Amino acid sequence: MEKVKKIKIVAATGCPTGIAHTFMAEEALKKAAEKLGVDIKVETHGQVGVENQLSPEEIRDADGVIIAADKDVKAERFFGKPTIDVSVQRAIKDAESLIQAIIDGKAEKYRLKNNKADQNDHTGEISQGNSIGRSIYKHLMNGVSHMLPFVVAGGVLIAVSFTFGIKSFDPKDPTYNPFAEMLFKTGKVSFDLMIPVLAAFIADSIAKRSGMVIGFIGGMIANSGGTGFLGAIVAGFIAGYLVLLLSKLFTNLPQSLNGLKAIFLYPVIGVFLIGGIMTTLVAPMSSINETMQAFLSNFQDSNPILLGVIIGCMDAFDLGGPVNKAAYVTALALLSEGNNYFMAGIFSASMTPPLITAFASVFFRKYFNESERSAGLVNFVLGCTLITEGAIPFAAKNPIVVIPIFMVGSSISAALTYLMGVQVPAPHGGFLVAPVVTGVFQWVIAILVGSLVGAILFGIYKKISFANAEE
Amino acid sequence: MDRNNILNIHHISLNEELVSQQEVFERIAELAVQNGIASSQKKVVEGLLERERLSTTGFLDGFAIPHTQVGEIVRPGIVILSTKHGIEWRSMDDQPTRFFIALLIPKNEAGTIHLQILSSLSRMLMHDDTRQNLLSAESAQEVLEKIMPILE
Repeated sequence: MEKVKKIKIVAATGCPTGIAHTFMAEEALKKAAEKLGVDIKVETHGQVGVENQLSPEEIRDADGVIIAADKDVKAERFFGKPTIDVSVQRAIKDAESLIQAIIDGKAEKYRLKNNKADQNDHTGEISQGNSIGRSIYKHLMNGVSHMLPFVVAGGVLIAVSFTFGIKSFDPKDPTYNPFAEMLFKTGKVSFDLMIPVLAAFIADSIAKRSGMVIGFIGGMIANSGGTGFLGAIVAGFIAGYLVLLLSKLFTNLPQSLNGLKAIFLYPVIGVFLIGGIMTTLVAPMSSINETMQAFLSNFQDSNPILLGVIIGCMDAFDLGGPVNKAAYVTALALLSEGNNYFMAGIFSASMTPPLITAFASVFFRKYFNESERSAGLVNFVLGCTLITEGAIPFAAKNPIVVIPIFMVGSSISAALTYLMGVQVPAPHGGFLVAPVVTGVFQWVIAILVGSLVGAILFGIYKKISFANAEE
Repeated sequence: MDRNNILNIHHISLNEELVSQQEVFERIAELAVQNGIASSQKKVVEGLLERERLSTTGFLDGFAIPHTQVGEIVRPGIVILSTKHGIEWRSMDDQPTRFFIALLIPKNEAGTIHLQILSSLSRMLMHDDTRQNLLSAESAQEVLEKIMPILE
């Protein structure tokens, strides 16, 4: 009779808090292994640290690997082994079918895999299950959480430089201050990086390091092409899936060329492709820009409410991106012609989105995680100094729902501003230029009303998505 | 390590009239503060809610193991509740939950013994007979007697 060698499985379990589910998964796997007659060794990643660590020999001798984790368990060690990669819950619920799948030879060899959710942004953002919506959300989240510090740092530095004078960075201006110039320039550097970083880390979530490289390049092209954060999101996803596609195409290359893939093939081919794609996508941007400006100038004397809604929507649409900029540039042109009314609405509409997030993060605290609350508080500063970009991280998480909410708030602020005939003769600065504004009191009220309405809407949205996150 | 501090009869309350996850968490937090496990009821509830957002702590046979680690927890403790009504908990077997074993851990905990206690408890809950045994307990004293050996 043939002597069949007992199947050996190694496993690694880990749940974010590392208290209970890690060990429950361990126990479930052990029970199932015993029942199905296989050998198993389970490495646990709990609060106490890594216990029962798998040695390289044990991994080498294993017939299969089960990863049951919602955190990083250094899965690179399992490269090339038949692996089943699931959440901790799945292992607790379904350990037997996982082990059976390995016995039946149904496990795929482990290779380039999704990044596990960023651990610095825990609380409610880690997705369970693998539906497409959940993956897209996970990728967006990875991008946003990496982008956030750049937005905050850049925004605050720029805001502080404005307190010296809104043009204090300009040596030709009477308010010039070298320190303010340094603050402004440094802040700008941080801001300029936020768009490529968003794209890079969306791509990183999809296809790890190689994806990140391509995402960075795609994001930089999006940035210099003036597509704003929406363009960065597009670039990030294209980059990530591009690399995944490349990795599928190259699966059959001999093992010895693996190093070549990461250092040469993916970067060179990937960058070439993303360069072509993104350059094509951003090419029409400047003509779109001109069209928008022309369109807008036609409306300068129209009904204040209509104008308010148009400006509100344009400013909130991409929060500092091309549409927002088109409206702003039009306002600058009109300002130089002596029209101070138009700019007033632009100010209001652009200050509102960050203020919406700020108020919402205070009144609806419960539905915001720690980093969102901090970013929300910072947005009081950024909103008041007309740094619309502060709202980007909040919008990027779910642009389809959040941007319309911002549009409503901004439209209200802008329409009220126009209705009350506020005049703003300055090109930037938000509340910092209040001294030169005509109709300050009405102006503040207009912005407050729009921001608070938007905040309520935003808060309700967060509440609903909080409840849905329990799924 | 005094197991009595981690779990004693005062930490257990059966057949509560609670009807929602929020109420269960608040009752757990209340018992925690009453027994000197935590200094802030609000923070314990917040912590339990945050952990629940990551993924459900309900698993099989009406059991759930909500847990959290916040600064306002003064010493490690286990609080046990059972409710008259099944509560919607998004559990793994989609059944409503009625037996709650809450694990509360201080944030800056030097020792690991309590973590080992909690991990053995978690492992044991994976066994059908352990769960059935606990479900059949008719008083807080019985629950205590059935769980204590697991914590050894």
